[in-house]
Order: sequence, then C-alpha cells, then structure tokens
Amino acid sequence: MIRKKQCVAMLLAGGQGSRLGVLTQHMAKPAVPFGGKYRIIDFPLSNCANSGIDTVGVLTQYRPLELNAYIGSGAPWDLDVSQGGVYVLPPYHTGATGEWYKGTANAIYQNLSFIQQFDPEYVLILSGDHIYKMDYAAMLRHHIEHKADATIAVRQVPWEETHRFGIMNTNEQGNIIEFEEKPKHAKSNNASMGVYVFTWSKLRDYLTRDDQNPESSNDFGKNIIPMMLNEGCTLTAYSFNDYWKDVGTIYSLWEANMDLLTTPLPIDLHDKKWRICARNFGAGPQFVADTADVTDSLVTEGCEVYGTVKHSILSTGVVVEAGAQVIDSVIMPGAVIRRGAIIRRAIVAENAVIEPGTSVGEAEGDIAVVGQNVIVPAGGSVAAGAQLDV
Amino acid sequence: MSDLMGLIYTGDNGERLGELTSLRAVAALPVLARYRVIDFVLSSLVSSGAKNVGIIMQKNYHSLIDHLGSGKEWDLHGKHQGLVILPPYQTPDNIGVYSGLMDAIRSNMVFLRRSRERYVVVTDSGMLYSANYDDMLAQHIRTGADITLMYSTDHNLLRSGSGHYIRVDEEGRVCELENQPMVPSFENTYMEAFLIRRELLIELADRAVSRAQYHFTRELLQHAIADHDLSVYGWKNDSPAWRLDTVQAYYDCSMALTKPEIRRQILRADRPVWTKMRDEMPTRYTADAKVKDSLLADGCIIEGTVENSIIFRGVRVMKGAVVKNAVIMQDGYIMPGAHVEGCILDKQVTVRDGSTLCAPASYPMVVAKGTTV
Repeated sequence: MIRKKQCVAMLLAGGQGSRLGVLTQHMAKPAVPFGGKYRIIDFPLSNCANSGIDTVGVLTQYRPLELNAYIGSGAPWDLDVSQGGVYVLPPYHTGATGEWYKGTANAIYQNLSFIQQFDPEYVLILSGDHIYKMDYAAMLRHHIEHKADATIAVRQVPWEETHRFGIMNTNEQGNIIEFEEKPKHAKSNNASMGVYVFTWSKLRDYLTRDDQNPESSNDFGKNIIPMMLNEGCTLTAYSFNDYWKDVGTIYSLWEANMDLLTTPLPIDLHDKKWRICARNFGAGPQFVADTADVTDSLVTEGCEVYGTVKHSILSTGVVVEAGAQVIDSVIMPGAVIRRGAIIRRAIVAENAVIEPGTSVGEAEGDIAVVGQNVIVPAGGSVAAGAQLDV
Repeated sequence: MSDLMGLIYTGDNGERLGELTSLRAVAALPVLARYRVIDFVLSSLVSSGAKNVGIIMQKNYHSLIDHLGSGKEWDLHGKHQGLVILPPYQTPDNIGVYSGLMDAIRSNMVFLRRSRERYVVVTDSGMLYSANYDDMLAQHIRTGADITLMYSTDHNLLRSGSGHYIRVDEEGRVCELENQPMVPSFENTYMEAFLIRRELLIELADRAVSRAQYHFTRELLQHAIADHDLSVYGWKNDSPAWRLDTVQAYYDCSMALTKPEIRRQILRADRPVWTKMRDEMPTRYTADAKVKDSLLADGCIIEGTVENSIIFRGVRVMKGAVVKNAVIMQDGYIMPGAHVEGCILDKQVTVRDGSTLCAPASYPMVVAKGTTV
C-alpha cells in the first residue's frame, strides 16, 4: 500500500547534452561533475529534499550507468525513505508498444502509472541541466493560491537573449496569456526555466490526449503548454530571479564553475539551511604542500596540491604536481596534472592524466576540453577550443 | 564474507587530554581535519568485512552518539545488524559504571550472545592507526590461538608508567606481559585490541567477573600468559600508531599526519576511512591566501596565511591572519591580523582582530570549545 503524496517530482535526466561534447560522451548531462564536489543533478535533488518533496522520479535514457550509480538509494539527499524516495525510471518495453522517450511530455506519459501509484494532487517537472537553489514548496503554494492548472517558473533574461528561450507573456494578474517559443521579436523577457507545477488530474488528461495526436512532438514547451493555453486553462507565471545558470554548453559550464570564485558568491553554497548534498567517496582532507601556491580557487577533499593553482576549481582527488600550473580551469574528479604541465582556460574531465610538460588550452580563446580517462602524452598540447577524447 | 564482528570500548575519558575531552570521550576527539578518532577503527573493521559492530559507551558519550548516528556513513545500518550502541544502563545484569573491560563486556553479554559471528575483535579507542583485521584473523586461525593481541613496535606508543608491553617469541607466542612499567622492558606495545572466538569471550568474561577480575589486561590476560592457561599470540601491526593520551601526544600526532608519506599509511586508498558528512562547499582560497604544508577540510574560507597546520571544516582565516603549527577545529574563526601558533583550538573558537596566541611546539596550548580570545 503506497501512501498518497501531495506532490511528486519528475526530473527529466534523459537528454544526451550533446553541446557538452566529449564531457557527455560517456555519461548523461546531469551526471557531469560541477563545482568541485557536486554533480549537476545534486542541485535539483537537493532542492527537492530541502523543499520537502520526498518522491522523485528520475527519467533516464542516455548512458544512464554513471547516473544510476551516483543516485543509488538516494541516501546522500535523504531520499532513501520507505514511503517514496528516488526512483530511476528508464524507458521500458510493454509488449507491443515499448519505445524510447520521444519528447519531454512523452517521457512523463510513459510513466503515468508510476505517478498514479502515489495519487498526487500535483506534479513538479524539473530538468537536470541547471545550477540553482529554489524552494519548490513556495512555487507549489503559489500554484495552489492561484488555483492554477499549471504554473511555470520564469525569470527575466536580457532582452538580447530572448530569442533563445520560451517566452511567457502575462497579464496584470500574472496569468500567462501567450507562449512564444524562441521568438524573433519578444513581447516580454520572462523566460521559462523548464520548471513546471501541474495539477495532476489536468496534466494526466493533456498527456493522454497529446499521445493520441500523431503530429505532436510530445514536448511540454511545444505541445502541452500551447494546448492548455488554447483551451482556456489557468496558467500562472512564478517569478524566480535568484541565481540560475544553464550549464548546457562547454562555455556556460565553465562560466558557472567560475561564478563560484567570485565574491560575494552569486549562489551561496555555505548556506546551512539549504545544503546542496553530494555523494561522499571517503576521500581524506586536502593537502597543500610547501611548493604549492593556491589562490582564488576552490579545492576539495582528496586533492593534493604541489603546484600552482590560480582561479580554478579542483574536484575530489585531483593531484597537481610540483611545477604544474592550473589557471582559469576546472579539473574534474581524479584527474592528475603532472609536473610542468600548464592548463589554462580548460576543463579536464574525470581521471584524465596530463603528462609532464603538456600544454592544455590558452590564455585567451575558447575553452579546451580533455575527456574522461584521456592521457595527454608528455610534451603534447591541446589548443584553445579543442576537445580531446579517448 | 567475513566471520568477524567488532566490539569497541570507549570507556576511557582521557583525563590528561584536559579540555579536549572534558565534554567528549577520546573516541569522539576530532582528528586529521575531518575525522573523529573512532572513525579509524570503525572503518578498518568495515574494510575487513565486519557488519556487526557494538560500541560500549561509558562517559561523555553525547558527541559520540551524535557522530555515529545510525551508522549509515560506515554502511552499518543494516536491517538485522549494523551499528549497535551500548550505553550504560542499570539492570540486574548491568551495573552502569564499569570497573574494567571485562565488567563492561559481561554487562553487555546479551549483545554478544545474540551475535552470530564466530570471531570478535575487541578494541579500545584511545589510539590512532589503520588495521587489517583480515590478516589478523588469518593468523589467529593459522596459529590456533585462543587470543591474538595486536601489537606495534612504533616508539610513539612507549610510555613511562602506563601502557602494556609484551614479549613475543619467534613463533609469535606472547610469553610475558608488563603492566604499566616505569621503563618498558619490551619494545612491543600491546595496542589494546585483541581477537578472540566470540563464545570463548563470553565464557571468559563470565568467569572473570564472577571472580572479581574486572580488567582484561592486568588481571585476566597477565595471569593467563603467566600460567599458560590460554594460548596467546601477538599479531604485529605495521601501521604508524599514536596513543592519544596527552595534549602533547595529540599535537605530535596531528603534526606527523601533515607529512604525506605518513598520512598515506593511515588514509589508504584500499581501506577508506569514513566519517559523518557535513555537505560543505569546497574550501575557498582567496587572492591573498598563502597556504603551505597544511591539511584542510571542506567548507573553509582562507584569506590569510596557513602553515604546517590542520584546519577542520568550516574554519575561516581572515586577511592578514597567520596560523602556524596549529590545529584549528570545526568552525574556528581567526580574524584579521590575529596570530595563532602552536595551539590546538577546539571547535567554535574565535580569535579576535590582532590577538596573538603563541605556544612552543613542546608545550602546545589548548583553547576550549566556544572560547572567544
């Protein structure tokens, strides 16, 4: 007997994230390391836990192994509860009709019976590619107070970027009257964050009807939201203007990491009332040797620093040998930077080894990327903007 | 599948550690930037496959219980077994205040009887080291010993007037045991940890207590060795080891662990040490940070100078502050221009602007928890 839940969260984690290039060659985007000790998915999962939402379905599709292993029982986020908890939901075969998730709405549609088990009043839809701290409970209250059928989190984006977003035009009451997907000439700069609250009975109905339409691309932004608007549903906008960063591209991922080096922090990760939790790998304290020079940087457990680290992020278990220099870069878990190597404006992925005397990236220009487990041979070099994979 | 369980005795309240243990058991003493002493023995047991670990508590055990929780961090939160906390309580079988280890074991007999493992490691918690109990158990079985004592030749453990020292013959048999000699005759220090068949331990504890023998080492063990009643062997642990019985010993241990070659023998990749998580952000080093030869936990903000020190979670060293040869425990706050040298700052100590706290390395100073200097 499963106990009824007021709200169930569904986290869309199936996208390949192809704009992250070699970084998502071997893992789904939400599993990509961030900020030294986190992975992208730690943010929505911690937000759920901190918002009191203890039932989360994680929809996976693309290279789920690393993500599944990382989520495990959900214990790091206190989501290992006996009523609810975190569930990894891959697409499955149903005899005649099993198929991959065709779009965001289809992914939820295929898990209709998962959600129904909890008989929720509301469903929260999240994506796994943003860095932000958000109280979903406040958004849910907004949804309930406005007696809405759907509530869409929006934020103001610079006018010159409106063409990249789904733009919500609202009336004076904050109700959405029009939705424009990536408009050339936007009427407002309220962009959808891809965070939705739906009244479950309504959403179930729309998902079912959407599935019956062979023309539909089964997408929330393209199909479900416009259909609800056309048919006179109440859709409200929920304004969120705290830190929120899309990390869907190499540059934005690098930039979001660099944001953690600014003072004051644009996103406070020291906040004890809203902790961002991550899985623990039992690494020891960080060691900074007498030959080291570490400034303007974030360093975490298990790191051993003998070289120079400037304006960079070292993740769990990174080793920087004496004479090596790491500048304006993100070094992901377990990577080793050997003596004399110079890393500038680069992302070095998990367990990569940069052999002695190597140069990765340049002082200016695009971000260089070294993929997971890649060994860059001694004396080699990786140009700005280049991506190296095994 | 290991047939080994653990029983950890945390009764010692370490009087000579002064304010460091006035509010906590030695087992709960913070150590090595992010651990507590008990994490090492607990993690070693878990690495050797133990799934059932009892912890006998006696005094000042609040912070220990808070630290251990359900045992989740050590994967000891099983449905049928895992971490079992054994606080003192008074019943006809348990007298609440134990006169010694045998007394404590006898008082917690129900736990031992209910357990299923064939072997049990019984260990004190006043020393810091890494142990491979698999090797110890293999030797125990090979020699057919009744009791196997863990010992070390590390000179750090020698003391005048305290500790137990053993003579071990070529076959590994323990032939003599000295109890608290002024000058130890043997260089082998008994590490206050032994391995025994669980049922034999039950039998011995019952017999000993009924004869008013409450102490394991100086009563039961010393007699058993002298009279050849039991076959007692020694197993040598090559890990570096520290006896945390004085402020100086704690300080020396901390300073030694800043050396990578020593630290790697305690924090081994193949035997990870687990501890309670705080989910802190990685440590931030600002443009003015100057850090050398130091160990730091997460959640710190370093704007000043830190040399040859151990910095626990959530510590802030502000601009112009200098921390040298020091141990700063959790949430310490070193304000601009302050100078801290040769000190052990317990948790939540604030050193105000421009204050100077200096002690020689041969006489480290302890600042009590929550103090503002």
